[in-house]
Amino acid sequence: MKIAPRAIVAGAVVALLVALPLVVKSSFALDILIRILLFAFIGTAWNLLGGYAKQFSLGHAAFFGLGAYTSTLMQIDLGISPWIGMLAGGVAGMLASLPIGWLCFRLRGPYFTIATIATAQVLMLVFLKLRDFAWGAEGTTIPNLGNAPLMMQFDGKAPYYYVVLLLLLLALAITAWLERSRIGYYLVALGEDQDAAEAVGIDVPRVKRDIFMISAFLTAMAGTFYVQYIYFIDPNTAFNFSISIEAALVSIVGGVGTLLGPLIGTVLLETTSALLQSWLGNLAGVQVTVYSVILMAVILWRPTGIMGFLAELNARRRAKRVSS
Amino acid sequence: MVEIVAQAVINGLLIGGIYALVSIGVTLIFGVVKIVNFAQGEFVMIGMYITFFLATQLGLDPLVSLFVCMPVLFAIGVLIQQFLIRRVLGLNDLPQIFLTFALSLLIINISLMLLTPNYRTVHTGYSDEALHFGGLYVPVAKLIAFGVAMLLSGVLWAFLRTTDLGKAMRAASQNREVAQLMGINPNRVFAVALGIALALAGAAGSLLMPFYPAYPMVGQVFVLMAFVAVVLGTLGNVAGALIASLLMGIAESLGIQFIGADSGLIVVFLLLLATLALRPSGLAGGRTR
Repeated sequence: MKIAPRAIVAGAVVALLVALPLVVKSSFALDILIRILLFAFIGTAWNLLGGYAKQFSLGHAAFFGLGAYTSTLMQIDLGISPWIGMLAGGVAGMLASLPIGWLCFRLRGPYFTIATIATAQVLMLVFLKLRDFAWGAEGTTIPNLGNAPLMMQFDGKAPYYYVVLLLLLLALAITAWLERSRIGYYLVALGEDQDAAEAVGIDVPRVKRDIFMISAFLTAMAGTFYVQYIYFIDPNTAFNFSISIEAALVSIVGGVGTLLGPLIGTVLLETTSALLQSWLGNLAGVQVTVYSVILMAVILWRPTGIMGFLAELNARRRAKRVSS
Repeated sequence: MVEIVAQAVINGLLIGGIYALVSIGVTLIFGVVKIVNFAQGEFVMIGMYITFFLATQLGLDPLVSLFVCMPVLFAIGVLIQQFLIRRVLGLNDLPQIFLTFALSLLIINISLMLLTPNYRTVHTGYSDEALHFGGLYVPVAKLIAFGVAMLLSGVLWAFLRTTDLGKAMRAASQNREVAQLMGINPNRVFAVALGIALALAGAAGSLLMPFYPAYPMVGQVFVLMAFVAVVLGTLGNVAGALIASLLMGIAESLGIQFIGADSGLIVVFLLLLATLALRPSGLAGGRTR
């Protein structure tokens, strides 16, 4: 009974998202929508590890960059389609999460966070040095083949929109499935209290490792998509710290450990930033200043994010209905 | 060859003194308040800009502005404890990590807007001076910075050992509950810890100014170093942070000398990752929390 109306709402929202490019034709607006879906996707991937397991990574740029470089290297050096490169990049990200997790999970709380920052920075510095293998600091442009759907290159922006929409739906589906599965309950348990989770027999290191692998796989796919979209790659784009920051930010503002939190957080932050930009122009620092004020406000007043706030409103309304 | 190594060690040791001021602050806050201050580097940056404006507007020597920077940043530290950090104490990791992280982003980006990303430098009479010992040279500005940094660390050490307030801080860092039962007012202790830590960051800013440019992101360099030093020197351990900072300054300098100008950070990060792999509890041993 309860599932049916929810499914209808979800179906309607997806239908709306699918229909959007039919109405929105301006490439500026589509660009903003693509950014929203992309960061919602990365945020949803981050949320698996950061939101449910409460392992607050600020190093997800590592996987974003590895995904971007894997597909680009395969495309330019071997002529392999980025569609395959995207999966290969996901696998590369997933494999990289094993040693990174092995190192970083030795630390807890803020020091886990710092260690993840360091790993992403090391990777960026390494790619800056890899002059012969990966173009070093100059980076490279991705050859423009015109309209080549098999090489993930399209004429207009609408096809890119659908690609990233599919990615986001994939991440949401995985999250929804995990929420209902055994591993989902393990995640929430270890997020609440690692020692207690271990005490009741959960294999904490294994659960952390598995969720980190999934999160890294998805984040790496986002990297491939992004460089295909902007036709350019260099270490500073691919491993930029701001990617790690935004992944965490959208999830926290939207509500960590909730299915739709990252999406809602991204919509709020990216629209704010787009409005600011059209109002103030491209003034350095404005966007992140506003982001950090929002982040601080959320932390001080609503640590459960927008989703937590909505749940609270809902509960209050229900309580009122019962009492009246 | 020996001379090149010796010169690199001297350069690294001298800048390591500055790293020490920053990491002692980070480790002090972590030890006492149990919070990692992601914004510590930004207070170095604020110290640098205060020093810069005092030098360009009033012609104050950076060493004199030390006496302005330290009290101002002490006050900022107390305010931050009272109005921000106090509100997230006792909560879970998320607000504790991301509050100071948001503060760091905020300070950097407000500075970007107000001060532009331009590099600012202060040139003093001793900026280009150097002492020569055989083939080695020791830049005077860096030597002064190192000396003052070591002096301040020593004063802090004595303060923590001998005064009641210092002992209260050490007690609070060892066991907050018991300290509270012994009649120690945690809020006062926390405010002083924040104040001292930020004053040290401010001092680092003043000391850097004669030989290091100020720009909005400058703090990031120092805070990353500090984090590595604090892990390396065992979390919450002041002496450990000091020694680790000096070692890291040297490691960075050797990395720059022998691998390449942009490789200092790689060496430092690899040092961090190696520490995590081999001795996650830090060089001084003890618990990782």
